[in-house]
Amino acid sequence: MTSFAPPVAPDGLLAQLASAAAAPNADAVEITLLGRAGEYTRFAGGRVHQPQDILETQFSVRAVVDGHAARAATGTLSGLDQAVARATAAARALADRARGKAGSATVAMPAVAPEVVLWHDDTAAFDGGARATAAGRTMRAAADAGGGAAGMFGRALTQIAVVNSAGVAHHALATEALGTLTATVADGTSHWIDLHRSAGALDLAASVDRTIAEAVAGQGRRPVPDGRHTVVLGPQAAGELLTFLEDAGFSGELAAAHVGLVAQRAGQKVASSLVTVADDATATIGLPIGFDMEGTPKRRVPLLTAGVVGEAVTNLATAAALGTRSTGHAHIAREEVPTPVAANMVMDAGDATEAELIAGVERGIYVQRFWYTRLVDRVTATITGVSRDGCFLIEDGRLTAPVAGARFTHSVLDFLGTVDGVGSARRSQPVMNVWNGAVTAPALRGHGFRFGAATVEES
Amino acid sequence: MSSHDWGALSDDAAARAILDSALDTVDGRVEYADARLIECEELRSYAQLGADPDERIEQNIGIGVRVLVDGQWGFAARPLAAHADAATAARSALASAVALAGSGRRVSLPPREAVSGRYETEAGQDPFTVDTATRHDLLAAWLGAASAPAEVAAAQAGVNAKRQHRHFASTEGSRQHQHLLETGAMLMVTAAGHGDVQRRSYPNSFHGNTAAAGWEYLAGLAMRENAARVGEEAVALLTAPLAPRGHADVVIGAQQVSLQIHESAGHALELDRILGDEANYAGTSFITAGDVGSLRYGSDAVTIASDPTVPGTRGSFAFDDEGTPARRAALIDRGIVRNTLSTRDSAARSGLALTGAARSDGWAYLPVCFSTHVYLEPGDGGSLDELLDRMGDGYYIDDNRSWSIDNQRLNFQFGTEVAYEVRGGRRGRLLKNFSYGGVTPQFWGSVEAVAGPEEFRAFGYPCGKGEPKQWGFLSHGASPMLVRDLRIGVA
Repeated sequence: MTSFAPPVAPDGLLAQLASAAAAPNADAVEITLLGRAGEYTRFAGGRVHQPQDILETQFSVRAVVDGHAARAATGTLSGLDQAVARATAAARALADRARGKAGSATVAMPAVAPEVVLWHDDTAAFDGGARATAAGRTMRAAADAGGGAAGMFGRALTQIAVVNSAGVAHHALATEALGTLTATVADGTSHWIDLHRSAGALDLAASVDRTIAEAVAGQGRRPVPDGRHTVVLGPQAAGELLTFLEDAGFSGELAAAHVGLVAQRAGQKVASSLVTVADDATATIGLPIGFDMEGTPKRRVPLLTAGVVGEAVTNLATAAALGTRSTGHAHIAREEVPTPVAANMVMDAGDATEAELIAGVERGIYVQRFWYTRLVDRVTATITGVSRDGCFLIEDGRLTAPVAGARFTHSVLDFLGTVDGVGSARRSQPVMNVWNGAVTAPALRGHGFRFGAATVEES
Repeated sequence: MSSHDWGALSDDAAARAILDSALDTVDGRVEYADARLIECEELRSYAQLGADPDERIEQNIGIGVRVLVDGQWGFAARPLAAHADAATAARSALASAVALAGSGRRVSLPPREAVSGRYETEAGQDPFTVDTATRHDLLAAWLGAASAPAEVAAAQAGVNAKRQHRHFASTEGSRQHQHLLETGAMLMVTAAGHGDVQRRSYPNSFHGNTAAAGWEYLAGLAMRENAARVGEEAVALLTAPLAPRGHADVVIGAQQVSLQIHESAGHALELDRILGDEANYAGTSFITAGDVGSLRYGSDAVTIASDPTVPGTRGSFAFDDEGTPARRAALIDRGIVRNTLSTRDSAARSGLALTGAARSDGWAYLPVCFSTHVYLEPGDGGSLDELLDRMGDGYYIDDNRSWSIDNQRLNFQFGTEVAYEVRGGRRGRLLKNFSYGGVTPQFWGSVEAVAGPEEFRAFGYPCGKGEPKQWGFLSHGASPMLVRDLRIGVA
């Protein structure tokens, strides 16, 4: 096991990167270190089947020549000079090809990043022994309940440093704790996931016990009747819906292409007044970090404020296209073009407990989790997926019979327009394919949520 | 100069010395250990409408060491900055396994003989020798053709290439050296207008198409001609009639069939899912270990095989990532489940056959069950036109637009970018927003015919699995197929 050390020793790091960024043959050079030292205790079938101790580092160099940019990345500091040379050569080749027509690429200017609490000692203490003990206890508790458990408990140390030739120099070292569990008892299942900079915030033992109890209660599931239902979405289901807001037009890329909500309906009310969602790097929940991969300080970006369409998240390129300043959301996903993303999306909590949300429903469905959700129609932000795990009928204000997973196809915006109750407790989950990405949401109550295939009348 | 003469690990003997130092570190203290030393370099060039070109090349080198101690696995991975990092990774892997001693069910691997060898992707022109201007001139031409119609709001075109030195050693004595190369291209067009947004893609709707080949692969894609076509189709979709709801006969094009194979056959047949190892993340399967050899999964027209020995695909290799030699395995034979996609661990625990599907995303992640080159065998349905003629009235659909399937890989709903009305075997109107749904064995049981080998195409895919999530790179191939009485218009 590692000693939970930073992926790259911080002492002298910024100076070393600044020296490499002072390349004589480029107009500007930006160097970004993304590092992660992660330890993961993954368990299933009565054993820890995949204990993993993974250290990854990437030094990505972006060189700019006459407004044309190119990147070269390497995995180690020793390869940095070569990466600078490669990025510079590629940028110059793009500039030569443009035959004197300048490009628009720039690097960030120095600015102060927001202070965010990133280090928690309790996460540092969540070591292999603690995780193996927790995994063993979880598997035994599930077995005692007549079932089984599969899950993963992990801790990581995330490191990001950005230096450029314009004088930007940021460095952050952030702890991260992750807990996730699927408990199965006969046909009853329940799922839990949460992440936080602090391991203590996961409330691991209580979360495990609650999840197993829900699996026990989930036995004897019946089908969800096709049709439209009042639903209470648990925090995980609600968070998954929020990840589709970017597809609806809160990305600078779409806004620049004049597609989606920000381009077409900025300032208009498209959701319930109870719905306020922002990308917020200053939040004390989720996975905040104060600056992005281009070294731009992040600021809180209001996506929906009391249901009214706000701004799109941007990087340097899309901000330039929109004539604004970058909001600090540069990102490069694997096998995709660089696109700004909301990396710490947070929905404001309400004042109701989940039980109070349920109490307000005469007949409906409680949905713990969605699965395999995909965009079907960008204009209406309609998605499809299935519900799964700890889902129950709501009858006369309380959870009654467990229900099986069911196919749904519904508009995220339509649902957010019907929200009349917001929970006070929030949970976070990772966002797929986003480096250090998280979404945090409370439970939501809404109406007219459509399960089953579309009917002819709805065409 | 060979396409494989690059980087720090092109020399097999030098790589073997580093691997040996990792295994020597744990010698005598493990039941089994293996080490994977990998150097990877990936080039991506993109052009977007209204934006500057994007160009990036990423290189990494590292080692992943897996050990088995007292029936418990341990794994650690480190970037390789110095020779000593190999021993550091091995010590960390050993420590993680030792910490679990006596903590749960033990696994033991059946011993096997050492298997050593070398494999290289056959390639014509090395894509890494193509200069920046040539790449971007091509992309600009594709983008220009695709965005000719005024209603095209966004478009992006890209080319990609990846080269890898993948070296493997085990305490059983295996020493394997694979030098891989792949090349690909993508195009995505978004049209907006008339209150709608529609997209078209080519040559694959999911991150483009990538093959184990050199730059010559692009010539066969006819990118410029197809860019013009999909640009026009994206705009035509804005005003096309909505696809209907109900039940209908459908001929599904090769790209959409490949996605259907991926989601409902490939994933459903991963043995780690079947055994519950992925229950918390990727999901499980409706297929059980006891179903192998007897479960009717589809009609007699359906034979699906795993065969990484087929050259030229993104799932082609000579050894998987735990050293098992590649071979063809029939997964579904004339509709009956015959094999799974398995690893040594999962095969040992289940008693099922080892099919060599242990794959990992580079050096940093554990090998898990991923598809290889998994494909639908061509049938006797003849050409696409003959298949449409056989169908008579119905729809011809292709190119995936949305995909969703439950965690057991049973209940699915897919949408396609395009659909054409077919009457009397002839293609008619273009329709938009086509969707269909079903239940996996019933769906494959409704396959009446599969087109012949002349219509077969292979598609390279990325795929996500594991905790932490890793990517698998694989291939699915198919010819168009005729499905009777499909439920359509479900979205």
